[in-house]
Amino acid sequence: MSAEQHDDVEAFRAEVRAWLAEHVPATPLPAWTEREGFDQHRAWEATLFDGGYAAVDWPSEYGGRDAGLRRSIAFAEEYYRAGAPERINMGGLYLLGPVLMQYGTPEQCARWIPDLLACRTIWCQGFSEPESGSDLASLRTRADLDGDHFVVNGQKIWTSMGGFADWIFALVRTDPEAGRRRKHDGITFLCIDLRSPGVEVRPLTMVDGTRGFAEVFFTDVRVPVDQVVGGVGQGWKVAMSTLGFERGAVFGDHAKFSADVEALAGLVHARELDDDARALDELGRVLVQTEVYRANVYRLAALAESGGNLDATASINKVFWTQMQHDVFATGLRLMEEDGAVVGDPAALPGAPAATQRSWADWHHRYWYARAAMIFGGTNEIQRNIISERVLGLPMEPRPA
Amino acid sequence: MTLETTVPRVPADDDDRQVLTELATDLLARHCDREHLRARLDLGQAHDPALWRRLSEAGLVSALVPPEHGGAGLSTSSVSGLLHVLGRHATPEPFLETAVVGVEVLSAFPDSAVATTWLPRIAAGEALVGVRLGPLTPYVVHGADVDLLLDLTPDGTVRAFTADDLDVTPVQSLDELRPLASIEPRGDGELLGVAPEVVDRARTVAVAGAACLLAGASRALLDQTVDYVTVRHQFGRPVGSFQAVKHAAADLAVMVDMATSAALAAIDSLDRSDPDDARRRAWSAKAYAGDAADRANVAALQLHGGIGFTWEYHLHLWLKRVMGLAASYGTTATLRRDLARELLARTREAAAR
Repeated sequence: MSAEQHDDVEAFRAEVRAWLAEHVPATPLPAWTEREGFDQHRAWEATLFDGGYAAVDWPSEYGGRDAGLRRSIAFAEEYYRAGAPERINMGGLYLLGPVLMQYGTPEQCARWIPDLLACRTIWCQGFSEPESGSDLASLRTRADLDGDHFVVNGQKIWTSMGGFADWIFALVRTDPEAGRRRKHDGITFLCIDLRSPGVEVRPLTMVDGTRGFAEVFFTDVRVPVDQVVGGVGQGWKVAMSTLGFERGAVFGDHAKFSADVEALAGLVHARELDDDARALDELGRVLVQTEVYRANVYRLAALAESGGNLDATASINKVFWTQMQHDVFATGLRLMEEDGAVVGDPAALPGAPAATQRSWADWHHRYWYARAAMIFGGTNEIQRNIISERVLGLPMEPRPA
Repeated sequence: MTLETTVPRVPADDDDRQVLTELATDLLARHCDREHLRARLDLGQAHDPALWRRLSEAGLVSALVPPEHGGAGLSTSSVSGLLHVLGRHATPEPFLETAVVGVEVLSAFPDSAVATTWLPRIAAGEALVGVRLGPLTPYVVHGADVDLLLDLTPDGTVRAFTADDLDVTPVQSLDELRPLASIEPRGDGELLGVAPEVVDRARTVAVAGAACLLAGASRALLDQTVDYVTVRHQFGRPVGSFQAVKHAAADLAVMVDMATSAALAAIDSLDRSDPDDARRRAWSAKAYAGDAADRANVAALQLHGGIGFTWEYHLHLWLKRVMGLAASYGTTATLRRDLARELLARTREAAAR
């Protein structure tokens, strides 16, 4: 990076920092897993959009800032440093958005992207089905052509934010015959309005009692064919282009994990474990991981800037950050000892600063999210298959005949 | 005597880094292969003057030496890839100590007689340097071969001793191709100066450099393991097609890849970041590289099975290299604790504000 680029990044960073200082809510928003909190998060997304910060890395023709990698990283670093609210529209912005830019028609882009960027429309992802998890390509939700509509029947599950979403982008099987020859064929990427007749969304209560995901049932739901993205039968290729995001292509999230480790240090200090050898070992281990991850984010950015291919690194990155995140939150629970069995009780941290109390209040929820991250976006076992076969070049497992 | 320590540092040019890496890759493939390591082991003499001469003639040993003393005057951050390659080949030479840390320290005292005498010798490939960095280095790498010992103490004192003034007691090194010695200097040697920032920087450079060597050696273990499980057949198929083996290799690949990222970045940051950030990066990189090396050590032997346990097969050369390096320039446990203490100190400061 040249001195000029460096100055440019730092000027952008200063601008972002000043804007966040002015706009980030003084008290944390309620969790988005309940309606009230969700609405407040949605309002915050609108504030971000009005400030021009909804997706700084997006191309300007779609309403982004063309920030480039370095400024996008600086934005993320400032965002997490400022303790700004959790983003609720990342799936739409980074799963659907790039798909539309790459595969969508001009009409589709004009129709969906502005509302997506402003968070006027919340999108959820409809990939997994009850019988199709890791083996995603075995999916069975059907879409049969009837004139200029597809008629959709089937079920999607583990749909994050499904209970609050307006639209779903789903993988559906449009050609079962092709799928019998090769299961990745005959799949189509289809956008569906969740208010369509025949759609039923049932929120699922998660392991910690919050309602962050849902199952979605489709019964004879009529969807116009012009809501297919990337061509009928091309769904697998289109969907795979989105998975890099879930596996960690979001540059700048290292700042979030560094903030989590700082919160962990707050817990250690509040529990008066500053000189405890075990606490130093535990804190040191996760601190090292976040520093390593920070270094890797910058390496990948440099690789991307020089036109390198990040596909090979996506699975390595996903296994690493999800395990690191789990380690951070599991370590916090261990260091809280008996109080780890009590959810977020401020009495466990008498006299601690408000920021430490707040992070503890949310700790168990974040812990469970860390567990989910090792499963979603392709389980870590699937990632290990990919790493061993596509990165290391080890032989494929013999498939059942 | 001068205390001039503010050598202007220019971030490494990517081209310099690339050139050094390619030179080393080519040279070591030809002259530091398994047969070379085996020959040095059989001789009981790790350091090979002929190999050192080649490294010197290729301009690698003198890369960081200032031009007025016969070197290329490149910035320290240009050696990241070079060190990684040296680690990958388990090169049995004190390159980090002589050509990187030694040159750094001497260059910090450019007008001293020690620097003007020894930098040209180092650049010409005629001198090996040992370094002591306080509690991080109870043993000196290649201690029995060094011509000059730089003794840096935590209070900032930097002294130089020539071989004549050293009582050297070789110890039985776990890694015989990275021999260690206890050294007792006689007398006061030559005082280069009292400069805590030089000592601090030398420690950071050594720790970051060791992380690169370690990541490179771990990478070699991963590569050898992948090669082996691809050709080794049991139950009528390559053992590397069994998921238990594949996932063990994948877990190792994750750690080795991330260790490499962190180690290269730690060296790169030596000329870009402030000293505190550079130290944090170096400490983190070495701590994590030690962790990755432990995994590489265990997984490589486990996945090789019996063959890896023989003296005849080459795997143990790298197993011992990673164990030796992991135990040098700060272990994972001590570096982690240092980092945790520093973070907690910052936490207390923030709480007090």
